[in-house]
Amino acid sequence: MLVSVLVIGIPFGIVARQAGLAPLEIVAMSLFVFAGASQFAMVQLFRDGAGVPLVVATALLINLRHLLMAAALRPSFGGLSATRRAAAAFVLTDEAFAMAVGWFRRGRTELGYYLTFAVALYVVWNIATVIGLAVGPAIGDPRRFGVDFAITATFIAIVVLGVRRRSDVAVALAAALMASALAAAGASVVAVVAAGVLAPLVALATRDEGGA
Amino acid sequence: MIWPAVAGSAAVTYLVRVVAFEVALPARVPRSVARYVDALPAAIIAALVGPTILVHGRSVTAGPELVAAAAVIAIVAWRRNLLAGVLAGVAVVALLRLVLSS
Repeated sequence: MLVSVLVIGIPFGIVARQAGLAPLEIVAMSLFVFAGASQFAMVQLFRDGAGVPLVVATALLINLRHLLMAAALRPSFGGLSATRRAAAAFVLTDEAFAMAVGWFRRGRTELGYYLTFAVALYVVWNIATVIGLAVGPAIGDPRRFGVDFAITATFIAIVVLGVRRRSDVAVALAAALMASALAAAGASVVAVVAAGVLAPLVALATRDEGGA
Repeated sequence: MIWPAVAGSAAVTYLVRVVAFEVALPARVPRSVARYVDALPAAIIAALVGPTILVHGRSVTAGPELVAAAAVIAIVAWRRNLLAGVLAGVAVVALLRLVLSS
């Protein structure tokens, strides 16, 4: 899992740098936001010239799932001190959650393991970001050899890697097509994000034949 | 514009992570809501990336980017490897642009 964080973190640094963000801004995103999917979305929004409220609202929507994860972990974390609980929340990610659920299901109760693992993910994510942003400019100027497409390709890959059920494919296609139609009609970035917010309703309308 | 956006995003992201650790949710979350929230990240990223592939100016058109996008999807779905997909996508775009411009 640490390797997979490295494999996503380096492209994040590269993409953010190619998109024209300053190294310090990129480092700050990984240090303080520390949420892969939302950081990628933020980079694209900055490229599109989106305003602060839209960027913040998008980060909120993308990370809303952590609320449900924390709720599921709450019974196991009740015994922690306030400071440790605050730290445990800060490093809560999809990976740390998956690890914790597996850990508690096996009857374990110690939380040190979760904290160590979650903090390790945090450290690796930030190292990967720095490697990526250092490598970024060396790749060459965009447009030449199709390097500009690397950003788009990275986003596509992130979406494809996130597909777990068949309905996820339908949701992604619905979002991409709706957003494209809106963008072609001259709609703003707000409308494009709105397409992404509406698309998951497709998943609710379909029976999950792919299995959960 | 970037610093306030980063600060705001960091604040809301921490908020959604910490709030359910501190207070119990008032009710059980319905499965449909959990499913919706779970699908949001990929949907929003797909929405942001869709127009960069399909929209050129004011029209939805198929270009080298669409072919390359299909290549990326196929390779990442098959190999589960981000780097392989990105390299293939860049190669396809570069090749098609070269062919189409000559």
